[in-house]
Amino acid sequence: MRSLRRSIRPEQIRELILVLVILALVLFFGTQIRDYYSGRTFIRVSTSIAIIAVVAVGETLVFLTRNYDLSVGSIVGLTAFSVGTQLSYYHFIPPIGAVLMCVGLGALMGAFNGLLVAYGRVPSIIVTLGTMAIYRSLLVEYPGNKIVQFNALPGWLQEFSSVNVVKVGDFELRLIVAIALAVVIVFQLVLHFLPYGRRLYAVGSNPEAARVAGFPSQRIVFLAFVLSGALAGVAGFMFLGRFGNLTVVAAMGTELQAIAAVVVGGASTMGGSGTAFGSLLGASLIGLLDQSLRRWPVISEFWRDAVLGILILLAVAGDRAIIERLRTLWARSELQQRSVQSIVPRGDSVHGS
Amino acid sequence: MARESSPTLQRLVNWLKSWEGLLLGLLIVVLIINSSAVPAYLSVGNQVNLFILYIERIIIALMMTFVIINGEIDLSVASLMGLAAGTMARLYEVGVPSGLAVAAALGAGLVCGAFNGFWVAFVGLPSLVVTLAGLITYRGLVWVLVEDRSISNLPGWLNDLGQKPLVGPFPLALILFFVLAVVAFIVLQYSGFGRYVYVIGINRDVARYSGVDVRRVKMILFTASGFIAALSGVLYAARLGAMRSSTAEGFELDIITMVLLGGVSIFGGSGSLRGVLLSILIILNLRNGMGLAYLSANLQTGVIGLLLILSVLVPNLARSAQARLARRRLALRTMQPAEEV
Amino acid sequence: MHAPVLELRNVSKRFDMTQALDDVSLTLYPGEIHALVGENGAGKSTLIKVATGVYQPDQGEIWVNGRRVQIRNSQEAQALGIAAIYQEPMIFPDLSVAENIFISHRDRGLLVNWRKMYEDAEAILAKLDVNLDVRVPARGLTLAAQQTVEIAKAISLDVRTLIMDEPTSSLSAHEVAQLFRLVSTLRNQGVAILFIGHRLEEVLGIADRVSVLRDGKLISSRPRSEVTIDQIIRDMVGRRIEEFFAKSTAQRGELLMSVRGLTKENVFSDISFDVYRGEVLGLAGLVGSRRTDVGLALFGVEPADAGQIIFEGREVRINSPQQALQMGIAYLTEDRRQYGLCMPLPIAANVTLPTLSNYLNGLGLIRSTAECADAEEFRQRLSIRAPSVQVEVANLSGGNQQKVVLSKWLNTKPKLLILDEPTRGIDVRTKAEVHHMINDLAAQGLGIILISSDLPEILAMSDRILVMREGRQMGVFTRQEATQEDIMAAAMGQEYKMAERQP
Repeated sequence: MRSLRRSIRPEQIRELILVLVILALVLFFGTQIRDYYSGRTFIRVSTSIAIIAVVAVGETLVFLTRNYDLSVGSIVGLTAFSVGTQLSYYHFIPPIGAVLMCVGLGALMGAFNGLLVAYGRVPSIIVTLGTMAIYRSLLVEYPGNKIVQFNALPGWLQEFSSVNVVKVGDFELRLIVAIALAVVIVFQLVLHFLPYGRRLYAVGSNPEAARVAGFPSQRIVFLAFVLSGALAGVAGFMFLGRFGNLTVVAAMGTELQAIAAVVVGGASTMGGSGTAFGSLLGASLIGLLDQSLRRWPVISEFWRDAVLGILILLAVAGDRAIIERLRTLWARSELQQRSVQSIVPRGDSVHGS
Repeated sequence: MARESSPTLQRLVNWLKSWEGLLLGLLIVVLIINSSAVPAYLSVGNQVNLFILYIERIIIALMMTFVIINGEIDLSVASLMGLAAGTMARLYEVGVPSGLAVAAALGAGLVCGAFNGFWVAFVGLPSLVVTLAGLITYRGLVWVLVEDRSISNLPGWLNDLGQKPLVGPFPLALILFFVLAVVAFIVLQYSGFGRYVYVIGINRDVARYSGVDVRRVKMILFTASGFIAALSGVLYAARLGAMRSSTAEGFELDIITMVLLGGVSIFGGSGSLRGVLLSILIILNLRNGMGLAYLSANLQTGVIGLLLILSVLVPNLARSAQARLARRRLALRTMQPAEEV
Repeated sequence: MHAPVLELRNVSKRFDMTQALDDVSLTLYPGEIHALVGENGAGKSTLIKVATGVYQPDQGEIWVNGRRVQIRNSQEAQALGIAAIYQEPMIFPDLSVAENIFISHRDRGLLVNWRKMYEDAEAILAKLDVNLDVRVPARGLTLAAQQTVEIAKAISLDVRTLIMDEPTSSLSAHEVAQLFRLVSTLRNQGVAILFIGHRLEEVLGIADRVSVLRDGKLISSRPRSEVTIDQIIRDMVGRRIEEFFAKSTAQRGELLMSVRGLTKENVFSDISFDVYRGEVLGLAGLVGSRRTDVGLALFGVEPADAGQIIFEGREVRINSPQQALQMGIAYLTEDRRQYGLCMPLPIAANVTLPTLSNYLNGLGLIRSTAECADAEEFRQRLSIRAPSVQVEVANLSGGNQQKVVLSKWLNTKPKLLILDEPTRGIDVRTKAEVHHMINDLAAQGLGIILISSDLPEILAMSDRILVMREGRQMGVFTRQEATQEDIMAAAMGQEYKMAERQP
């Protein structure tokens, strides 16, 4: 029991389950949809996963601190839309400049969220529900045409979405997907190896203890929101590159997909647990379902959102069931251990004086 | 002993009072500005028109007040409005009698509300997550029902009820609001159920240890919230005479803002319908004023978002400023004897 | 004697109306366990918070290693080698044991070196002679193990002064022994330890020096060899302990409740007893003996898994407080702030909460005149000192709040009243009033289960005493045969003159 407790963590169990579910779905849709195992499907699914995954990684950081960020969809939309508009006017902006604009703008909006949550002590659900509306309304009011057109974008951006990194037979790994993978890997490492990453876990795991231990909790939470915004900015750039044609409803609802990915990927809504890799798995499941349901003839493609909602509920409810089960198991093994210990004769006198 | 009454609490009570006072002041300012811009602004007709534009959200805000005072939140109400409207419209479209279609829509609200309530009350999941999942799921179901069409073929009697005045200048929805507001006020302030709602919001454990059936109260609240949302959804469709899959999308923002701006604590246990009614009046007139100033509906939504944040931020800042002031005063007081030494 | 590591000189701290600390001076030496005792509200917690930088003293100085310092927050305290361990361990449940030990370190490089961290953590635990897997998350650990992690954390930070705030209150006797061994080890390594305790026997067993706080003042500070329990108690309460008011022997009525083999997995097992009308059954045991859990099971808050309960001759199952209330069982919680009272509500609303359905009219509205009348009756009967029943309970003193909770349960007209620590943290006069009340209630024919950590109280008030230890029933004593030593011995689990077990 003890060795089991030590070697297998609940997170690993659920990540394994997720991988199995994803594999099963791939097999299932393969029997249902014609030409499912094709390079085209792979590109579609992987690029769709890429955008969700980048947003989800940012959302994971916020979730770790026991907060929520509902504004990421609006941030993705606003960065994509405003930078897209600028790029259509000013073709001389270099790619790196465009990326920096997106990241900076996203970070700025994230900082506004973080300021209100960490220093204004307004619950994150309130702040980001509000800023979701505020950022979206800024988007709608953004000066210029109410639309970004693919043809007006600079050439390099028009080609951006079809740039390949690796090609194996029909299966191409697009640059967008490579960027997303890099983001996941970098943040997985940050969360695992940087003291800041570990403190994110600590702050969400027990805010009171973090306060007593003298952590700069406010700064940690603030930074989580800034990073979430910055990553949403990165996703905005990817969104612009992938779709090119944008309207004022761009990326609406992305926050829900990201939250679904994070929750399905194993992050606790009570903070303190979750990984970038888990969120990638969650994003994969959601992206896969999203793209496959569109092409599955048996039910209408409009089932996608309903399935998303039910997935969140299942993931949260399933977690509750699993965690409770594991806790009783732990308690039992603990008790056995203790009864073994009490047979051992007590040591020397405890009375020191 | 009562004489040793803690001043912080006294201050808190005063603060609550002054919050509603602040709202009243704000309302008066908005009204003065608006009526100076538009003649006959304060006429009954104009105010009724204002109310009618947001009446469905206002009705839901009454119910949401209960839910938030109870220490929970229901983010799924706007999706449920859409789902009820969609259920009704779709059933009527395929030939189900109109009365039955409306009943089915209300039933859908009940069932979905109970579904939310089950996970919150009996499984113990946080309502924020459950109703967020509900928000997505129920909206997804509207898409399944209506897809990307617009249904404008609604029962004629329903359109009449939604669009024509029933008594004097008041249409059905407004009359319903008056009735529900009175009922809600009485239930919250004077009934045993209302007492339970507050007690659970203040301290769930005390309620449980006192034999209050916490799960039952929460279940009733979420079921009722689903029902009221469905009712409002049907009213909304009736007023507009049509519905689409995106009907009522994002309304939860308005509704929650109305409640929180009214001084109801997001953590539960405090607040009153009086404050919520004041904040509803403010939001309506503010929106109208912004409309008069040619601000787009979209920008108005942005302002509502800002208002939502401010309604929690301002009390927070005021509290911490108060605390800082008290600390400084204490430090000053204690410094003098130290110098004497 | 070495030079002191930590000195508080003439420290005072005031909150609104209360003088929490009044000119307190305290000196800690390396390699010394300094015990600090005092009743609830004596200022112990404030003292800790001043020493760890959570509060700033209004007056007075803090000296560390012969230098005057200002401690503005817990990080600065940590830098000065001062750390505190609280009743509830401040651990991060999602992090591993090793991470919990090292999370506060700022000098372990830019990257987390997991292998080295595990090795270092194992080394520290080995130094403490503790066997704990450093890789498991702290969530699954027992309270005692979590405390060990906190001690290891303190040691890893090279703490010179360790403050322990009632660390034993939730531990079993066996765990307490382990903890004390750990504390002795630390002392021998030259750490100065400020040990705040509430069980005097325990404190005297380990301390080198004992200081007593009362009403924010330091009353005495003497070497262990010069103090006795009586003396400390005198210092704590400020006068010689008077004879306790003793329950008059009432006529034992008919059998009210009979419990056989009550069991809750991992909590308590095989608890059997009878309660008669007019009788007070004391439930004794150290904290951690699971007495409260038995109370909660009988009230249906945390129902038992197995066992038989016969109430008024009928076999019953109690699965919820509602059921218990209907049967006529009431349970007064030990923590009135967390479980007993709705602080922002008035007295009347609190008194009628469990019986609210009796105050509703046909429409479900509260008949407030009836509500206030009943509350007013209790206000007078229990002499609750408040101008009216519309006063919010948050504005009352602890003793008066306790009377409100008592009113709330008496208003349910219970047949069986379970009182869990009814006199904890209330003033002496109210305490006496509560004792009289218990006596009266028993005389009226109620069955009463009295759970208390206060041995003299249990001995004086109970007709029979059931002693528990770590979830097991150690024996039932009648009032005549019980002595303080017997009960303490049973509670500590010693095979010492074990009384015959009564069904």
